Amino acid sequence: MALKLDYMVRETGTNLFRNLSLTIASILTVAVSLSLVGGSVLLRYSVDNATQQWQGGIEFIVFMQPEATGEQTDAVERQLEDSTQIERYEYFDQDRTFEEFKDLFQNTPQIVESVTPEILPPSFRVVPVDKSAETIESLRSVFVTQPGVREVVAAFDSIRTIRNLSNLIGVGLFVVAGFLLLAATLLILNSIRMAMFARRREIEVMKLVGASNWFIRIPFMLEGVFQGLIGSGFAIGVVFGVQRVFDNIAANQDFSLFSGLVVDNQQVMTTSVFVMITGVLIGALGSAFAVSRFLDV
Amino acid sequence: MIKLENVTKTYKGDVPALRNADVEIAKGEFVFLVGASGSGKSTFLRLVNREERPEQGRIFVAGKDILELSSWKVPYLRRNIGSVFQDFKLLTGKTVYENVAFALEVIGRPKHVVKTQVPAILELVGLGGKMDSFPHELSGGEQQRVSVARAFVNRPLILLADEPTGNLDPATSVGIMRLLDRINRTGTTVLMATHDRSIVDTMRRRVIELDRGAIVRDQHRGVYE
Repeated sequence: MALKLDYMVRETGTNLFRNLSLTIASILTVAVSLSLVGGSVLLRYSVDNATQQWQGGIEFIVFMQPEATGEQTDAVERQLEDSTQIERYEYFDQDRTFEEFKDLFQNTPQIVESVTPEILPPSFRVVPVDKSAETIESLRSVFVTQPGVREVVAAFDSIRTIRNLSNLIGVGLFVVAGFLLLAATLLILNSIRMAMFARRREIEVMKLVGASNWFIRIPFMLEGVFQGLIGSGFAIGVVFGVQRVFDNIAANQDFSLFSGLVVDNQQVMTTSVFVMITGVLIGALGSAFAVSRFLDV
Repeated sequence: MIKLENVTKTYKGDVPALRNADVEIAKGEFVFLVGASGSGKSTFLRLVNREERPEQGRIFVAGKDILELSSWKVPYLRRNIGSVFQDFKLLTGKTVYENVAFALEVIGRPKHVVKTQVPAILELVGLGGKMDSFPHELSGGEQQRVSVARAFVNRPLILLADEPTGNLDPATSVGIMRLLDRINRTGTTVLMATHDRSIVDTMRRRVIELDRGAIVRDQHRGVYE
């Protein structure tokens, strides 16, 4: 068995280097397509993260000026209290906002350090009775003119916009990635086919002397899996790169909706594992097809 | 050892390559298959190690119906059957030693077996001194000896030879035939397709003659025609 193992490794290695250009082409295609897959998964995660403060039916947020006076805040609160169009609301004072902020920016401590509770805007998270766009727009226009109010952000618009945009980008990326993955599979298939062609005399002899079918197949299968694996390795590098980009975007933004456009390490790990498994599957699929179609054992 | 029952094999739309063949070959026999090109000699050999399947009939090797074998068991059948060809089918990138060792390695024989068996069989075929040569450095006769060594290194029950002397001059051919005869004397059944009249006439072994796929003669201690 020891002999077989080093035989397999040797054969796989030889095959990979014999067809270096085609091997590189396959690996790069896998890398690019899986980068797109990984990117769109990360985007999905980051959008979910970015919108987490909008969960529980909150449709708009009234941000107060950080320096708004107590009376101004009380006035806004009273108005929310009295309005029949408001189902409920929640007040986030500066300390609570700071807690949330720390949570959102847990990956970039330098941002958290640069912020103190005093500079953050307190806010009212509001759940209206009627969630239609018109109602929210009319409520928005009422509150935005109140003294001490910095801005009113309606979830309806911004969440929809960001969700739609990310869906659009996500779907686009997935479609492109899908075609590229198909191309990658076909390239792997062809590089395995080339490897089998280069070794057709050896394969013929192996069949004649009675090498078992799997003994002949496995080095070719491993070659495909290896190409998928290396390609996914590059893609995982890209996934980590995207995380850095998101962090940078977040670092250069004021406290706004985009501040949530970060992904935590757990999500990056999950994405990486997903990318790796996809890479291995692509390699296995391409080579399995080549082996079953062209090896005839 | 080998038994064909009413075997017919036809290639796409052509005349049959083998027609209603009934043959029984006992263990240890040496059999010549003769006949014109296209008479079905190679097909006969290819049926025995299941490179081809007939449309009709049954084929037994060592008592087993080989047409019943599932495809993953075919390699194990072939481990009992050595094959030698007119064009040697040696791997040009490997030395004499590696070519023979390859046949053992790919069926998973342990290293120490390879290390003892390969030099022994190369000694037997008279190439003990050329183990590190590459095939292109050898004469045709020597290359065919390597191929015989590869076919026999695993001590198969049957040796199939498809015109093994077809590319060799008469003197060299005699050497190869001596080798095959010697292998036959160890108890290995040898089945050899040939065009070589003088070899058949000199050896006087069983001769099966094929004509357009039909067995027209089966003669003990026979001659070419």
